[in-house]
Amino acid sequence: MKKLIILIGCMLFLSFTVSAQKFITKTGHIKFFSESPLEKIEAHNRQVNAALDVATGDFVFKVLLKSFEFEKALMQEHFNENYVESDKFPNATFMGKVINIKDVNIGKDGVYDVVVEGKLTIHGVTQQISQKGSFEVKQGKIAVKAKFSILLSDYGIKIPAAVANNISKSVETSIDANLDLFNQTSR
Amino acid sequence: MKTWIKIVSGLFLTGIIAAILVYFFVYNKPHPDFEKMDAAYTLTAEDFYKTYVTNKAEAGNKYNGKVIAVTGKLTKTETSDSLTVCVFVFNNGMFGDEGLRCTMLPGYGDQVRKLQPGSEVNLKGFCTGFNDTDVVLDKCSIVKK
Repeated sequence: MKKLIILIGCMLFLSFTVSAQKFITKTGHIKFFSESPLEKIEAHNRQVNAALDVATGDFVFKVLLKSFEFEKALMQEHFNENYVESDKFPNATFMGKVINIKDVNIGKDGVYDVVVEGKLTIHGVTQQISQKGSFEVKQGKIAVKAKFSILLSDYGIKIPAAVANNISKSVETSIDANLDLFNQTSR
Repeated sequence: MKTWIKIVSGLFLTGIIAAILVYFFVYNKPHPDFEKMDAAYTLTAEDFYKTYVTNKAEAGNKYNGKVIAVTGKLTKTETSDSLTVCVFVFNNGMFGDEGLRCTMLPGYGDQVRKLQPGSEVNLKGFCTGFNDTDVVLDKCSIVKK
């Protein structure tokens, strides 16, 4: 009986540990910005899925491209129809790892510099990327921040010659996601 | 006035008017008013979600980019920054609750936050697709019966 109680206790502890390793959000924010001599283009997506396993460093982002909002309806149309072809390729994904996850102490509030490596897929094209960012740990939550540049030609996104002067060849991408502890037992 | 001056002036004026029309009606055209648009399809929230889970590509071709009306029992509402989301949960997975997430138009925030879990609701919104965990409707409004 005593052994059974100890075993159940161990299992409960392990299940808590496993559930306490994952942090998620479904309302992450990605902004992209491009500036050319003729025009500034800015778009926001505030419904980004992200999951981080702090035990392994596994890090995943999933983005629905039709959820990007532009100031001008025409830009939004062109983005979906002519550039990312969101009917054909509705999602952009990142699947990778925080390679220095061991440097991040989830139990201690603070800002930690991180390096993320993995595969970014946009427009059906996958590229290996490595980017720097930061995790701000505060009261058991993680605020993820990163800023990097995406070269459109790397993902097979072609800019028509007629508007080549209006659109930058790369877009500055900012990620801002507040990850909460994923508590499986609460569901 | 000489004829050629009249022709050149006419062309110049036509060009200016065309440029103004293009600027206002094409370049600066307003975003679609999804609240006023008719739904292309009406179905239950659960059937809508299950269609994507069963065949993502087929469902995407049919529903992505269209206004969809759904009915169902609300699981919960979530508020994040300026967004209010009506959530219908039908599954559990790597991102926790999975199902249908309906992001409301700003004018519906207060009304939606008062809804109790289990309430029967009728919503319509712009379908942005399935991210392997949830089907997402954007710019949602409450449909009055």
